[in-house]
Amino acid sequence: MKKNLLILIMLIASLGAIGQGKFISKNAFISFYSSTPLEDILGESNEAVTILNAETGEIAFQALMTTFHFKRALMEEHFNENYMESTKFPKAKFNGKIDGYNSSMLSAPVSDIKVTGILSVHGVEKTITIPAKLGLEDGKLVGSSKFKVTPENYGIKIPSLVRDKIVKEMEITVKANYLPFGN
Amino acid sequence: MKIKYAIILALVVIAVGAGIGLKMFFKSHADINKLKAEFKLDAGSLISEFEQDENTATKKYSEKILEISGELKSKNKLQNGTDLLILEDEMQGISCQLDSSWASANQPIIQALEIGKPITIKGICKGYLMEIKVSPAIVLK
Repeated sequence: MKKNLLILIMLIASLGAIGQGKFISKNAFISFYSSTPLEDILGESNEAVTILNAETGEIAFQALMTTFHFKRALMEEHFNENYMESTKFPKAKFNGKIDGYNSSMLSAPVSDIKVTGILSVHGVEKTITIPAKLGLEDGKLVGSSKFKVTPENYGIKIPSLVRDKIVKEMEITVKANYLPFGN
Repeated sequence: MKIKYAIILALVVIAVGAGIGLKMFFKSHADINKLKAEFKLDAGSLISEFEQDENTATKKYSEKILEISGELKSKNKLQNGTDLLILEDEMQGISCQLDSSWASANQPIIQALEIGKPITIKGICKGYLMEIKVSPAIVLK
């Protein structure tokens, strides 16, 4: 009887740990898009890593700049060498927290949330608040966001020759399918 | 007469310049199939190099072509159809996204891969983010 009780306690404790654990995606999608009269610029990566802490509502994102792919090899080269200086600043990072976080957000259908945190790109850190969606879709935890950033705010210099042709803001899209991790 | 040659010379220079410019603009992505590996490594030692000193290893291997041998831990397809192989360790191993044109031409090879068996891949190392990212990659054996 005592043994059964012990097993029951352990089972409940482990269930609690799952509920309070972390969620991860190692192949999250990030893209950025800008339309120019000459050609649309679209860079995509399927290799971002994100961790969501179910206890605190903290979200972390990281992406390697070199994993962004473009239609043209030349664009990829310019992106890494001239704009992002990927050897100097290999990663883009976001560390934030869901505004008004409540763990029931993770078990509800997908709904609108806001995330506030620090975006670090090209070695420059800025605090931003972005609109996002989070919740269950087909029984799986998914998160997504679409927001705009201004490259100049992150010290990314755009040559005067093309400055007028590139819009000031780039649209960033993020999508992640989370899986429970650890515990 | 001199002016005529000067004009022809100028036209040739412009044509060559435009040709080089267009060639650069339309330059195709590196074909991993044809490129030679700069480093031949064992998966375990590559992982420990990154774990010991990420910055040095990133400088040494990032954007370089590596030939890596290790144990296949998982085989998956991403939502966009990309084949994903993971070597050595499911969470902190080596993640290889296969080159899409190579993969579509070599589906039987991918299907025949067995979890737990040794595998050798060739691909471009992108750096370290919890795991070592290699893309695009192809299966050698």
